[in-house]
Amino acid sequence: MAKLISVRELKIDIPKEAQILAERMLSDLEKSKRPVLEAVKTSLDNSFYNPKVGYLTPGDKRVRTELNVSSVQKLARVVFMLEILLRNLDIGAVNTKRELYYICKGLIKNDAKLRPLDFEDQVESDTIVDFIGDMLQVYREELNCFANDRGGQTYSQQLVVTETMADGEKATIDLSTLGTAPFQPKNKPQSLRLKARKKIDFCLVIESEGTANTLQSMGFTKRNNCILMGAQGVPSNAVRGWCKLIEEELAPPMYFFGDLDAYTLQNIFRTLKAGSAASLIRNSHFSAPEVRFLGVLPEDVKKYDLPFYKVRESDPAEARALKKAKDALENDPFFLDKKNKGLSDILRWLMKEKIRCEQQSLFSVDPKDPIKMEKIILEKIRNGSYV
Amino acid sequence: MSKITKSSTAEYFAKNLQQVGFSSPLKAVLTTLKEAVDNSMDACEQAEILPEIEVQIQRVGQGSSKNTDLIKISVEDNGPGLEVDDLAKVFGEYLASSKFGKGQCSRGQQGIGISAATTWAQLTNAKGAFVISKTASMRKAVSGQVDVDIKTNSGVLKNKQTLDWDDKKHGVRVEFAIDGRVQLNGDGGLITYLEGTVLVNPHLTLKYKLLDNDWVTIERVSNDVPDIPMATLPHPHTFKLGEFITHSTLYGKITLDKFLKTGFSRVSDQSLKDFVAKGLPKALLSKPLTALRPEDFKKVFQIVQDTDLMAPSTKSVLTVGEDALSKSIQRLGETDFFSVVTRKPAICDFKPVVVEVALARFKHRNLEADEPVQLLRFANRVPLQFDKSGCAITWAIESVNWKSYGLSQPKGSLPLGPYIFAISLVSPFIKFKNASKETIDASEELVEEIRRALMQAGQKLSRHIKKESKEADLERKLAHIEQFGPILVESLVRITDSSDARKKRAEEGLRKLLGRDSKDAMEDLEQAAIKLAAQKTREAKRRGHDPDDDTASSESEEENDIIEVTEVMKENKKAARTTKKAADKAGKKSASSPAAKKIATTNAAKKKAGTKKK
Repeated sequence: MAKLISVRELKIDIPKEAQILAERMLSDLEKSKRPVLEAVKTSLDNSFYNPKVGYLTPGDKRVRTELNVSSVQKLARVVFMLEILLRNLDIGAVNTKRELYYICKGLIKNDAKLRPLDFEDQVESDTIVDFIGDMLQVYREELNCFANDRGGQTYSQQLVVTETMADGEKATIDLSTLGTAPFQPKNKPQSLRLKARKKIDFCLVIESEGTANTLQSMGFTKRNNCILMGAQGVPSNAVRGWCKLIEEELAPPMYFFGDLDAYTLQNIFRTLKAGSAASLIRNSHFSAPEVRFLGVLPEDVKKYDLPFYKVRESDPAEARALKKAKDALENDPFFLDKKNKGLSDILRWLMKEKIRCEQQSLFSVDPKDPIKMEKIILEKIRNGSYV
Repeated sequence: MSKITKSSTAEYFAKNLQQVGFSSPLKAVLTTLKEAVDNSMDACEQAEILPEIEVQIQRVGQGSSKNTDLIKISVEDNGPGLEVDDLAKVFGEYLASSKFGKGQCSRGQQGIGISAATTWAQLTNAKGAFVISKTASMRKAVSGQVDVDIKTNSGVLKNKQTLDWDDKKHGVRVEFAIDGRVQLNGDGGLITYLEGTVLVNPHLTLKYKLLDNDWVTIERVSNDVPDIPMATLPHPHTFKLGEFITHSTLYGKITLDKFLKTGFSRVSDQSLKDFVAKGLPKALLSKPLTALRPEDFKKVFQIVQDTDLMAPSTKSVLTVGEDALSKSIQRLGETDFFSVVTRKPAICDFKPVVVEVALARFKHRNLEADEPVQLLRFANRVPLQFDKSGCAITWAIESVNWKSYGLSQPKGSLPLGPYIFAISLVSPFIKFKNASKETIDASEELVEEIRRALMQAGQKLSRHIKKESKEADLERKLAHIEQFGPILVESLVRITDSSDARKKRAEEGLRKLLGRDSKDAMEDLEQAAIKLAAQKTREAKRRGHDPDDDTASSESEEENDIIEVTEVMKENKKAARTTKKAADKAGKKSASSPAAKKIATTNAAKKKAGTKKK
């Protein structure tokens, strides 16, 4: 099987590193010494944000797992899963996390000795895969474990994508020839190269897939030299990596347009722009630091007289988002940074006003004009009405 | 204007039987049984007779209404019996009661229930209640059929006969044949009702046969007939202003101080001084009641309400008692844990109330760990089986944070686990939400009082759960060593491509490491066991048993538990030593240690299941 294109220049050789680790554990056991596994602590309290870097990076905190009667199960599972991943690397096989879960199930089913390792659900095996990545400080893609391609459907009349496939063959996709079909970015952005037939004026990421679709249907990409993308909620690895690639290869101004609420700002926009605490070791390749928040902005609500509604604190999801917003203002290095004051001001405003305004509310401005949303978006870009 | 007509009480209830517990065929059977048993229990207690009650429920045919069976319900007691002249009144006349408004903690209160059962039998099967009665002074027993004359609200005794009633000296047997359906288990089940009745009546011997099942006999565990408290003088805090003034009219011309002291309980000379200190003019105290103006009464009343007085007498409320409850709970099955709490009497909503709580886990009941606990509610020792969501008892349970006592609990719900929570409320005046007495009205004060009792019981429970979780922890840890150690070593050997010699050395090293850990877990368990044993010793002492006394302990389940706990501790110590040796000897296990036995048992079970072990 052909070797996969690597995500980045890796400084370590994963199989060799894994062998050293196993050797150390075995040697510790021989001496009745407790083996210890260490991984980067992937949480907000170990996240740092430097606006010059542009994304969340890990601090020095480590999660230590020392062998004892409570952790022996986890350690046995880690070593078991490591063997599977090493074999995949060796033969060039790839899997999703769910597939890995079932591979484990299959191995366990056929070997009675392994039964105690059995995973009750996928969450248990996912945790082990993530731990291995954090421990070796490698991306799960570097362990040949890929997520499915969700979100990021892209439309453009200028963009041409060249994909290098696993067997080395190259495929060229001219987005202008796809008709109404979008281009679906892969979660292996490293295999893609981009070219623009004409200068691309901007890239617009819309939170709602449906609204991106509407803009496209109404001719947005025909009238504008742009890239139009639907994020489909919280951006997946594919969307994050794809935006990063567009930013690096074509460097167009990047804008995000979504709902005006705490959830969108923290969970969707912050993840797209600076990555997340859970993926600290991979944010450098999976975040687009140049992306700007085009709206909906608090000032838009007033200016365009947009319909909004009160946040129902009785709704657990909305109450949770508000509480998270409060936590973010106190603890999230991204929102604490002066550079992002504009964004934290919006969060504060949302907490004070306790309202939310949806991206689709722009359709209320001139209900008879089907491209009013496009006009407002372009006006906002022209006037620099973004954060 | 249409003509205004007057209906009899019986007519009203005949049209509204759903209000008194006859709202469905299922409830009809349970309510009929409940009313008959309540009457028997009250009668026995009033005559100071240890009750022996026999219950039989049979399916004898098809009911006259759609989807019903004809159910025969028989209840026989050894009570004092009823005089012939009283039979028609008791079973056939509404509001004919010896207990109405007496202020006693009797089960029945108004005299509605059993007449309603007769009416239901009459409406659905065209025959009222068949009764046999014999008092000690009657040579022969009397039998007959009692019907309710709905128009006049009076009972009619038909087919009166005399008969020899075995060797029975006194008692009543009543039989109803009604349309109904039988549910044995679950919240509204007959067994749940009977077991509940047994639980809060330790002095009851109950024999029952339900449908085709065998006869079941549950013997009494207490030979003390509960002393039904006499109606004591009222406590002033249980009064409202209007009642206070009306009460004074019964005392004629006496002075206010004498009225307060003789007309109420818990008002002493010291209380009078306290009233004065709170602003009651001394001169008023020596005035005759007839000279007091309404505003004087109001002032006196307000000051009395505002002054702390001793709690109402325990004599006016009846408790089952922690000791009797502890014994009674064992009658429902073998428990592996129980805790009982009897609160001191308190005033809630102007009424004296006593709350008792029993939490138990039975060894052989199919209660699920992830299902809500089974809740048994009692008011004046009568099980409440319907509409639990609106009941003060349910509210109180839901308001307690059971997580802090080791039980899981979805927010605002009953806790989960294989436990039975029995909560009994006794008061001369329980405020029910409806005439069928299914739900206790939830006032803030009452919920708080029940909540406190629950929290006390919860604290005891938490010690037990902690010990159990330590035991489970130890078991889990021992299992972990067995299960995961070899897998870990083998995987490492494969990845590093190492020799068998290294594998052996690593396995030995691993056993040593994990042996140390299980020793720590055993020490934790020991600590938890000591704490639990201390709690049980304290409880035993409080009830006047010496936990070290072999005779006492042989009579008490609780003391047996203490000995068991002590033995567990000894075993654990032994196990800890053995495990250490075992770890040192790298896997050579001593067959005599409980820990080793546990491992051996696990291994044997696994071998049976076809699991290969190292």
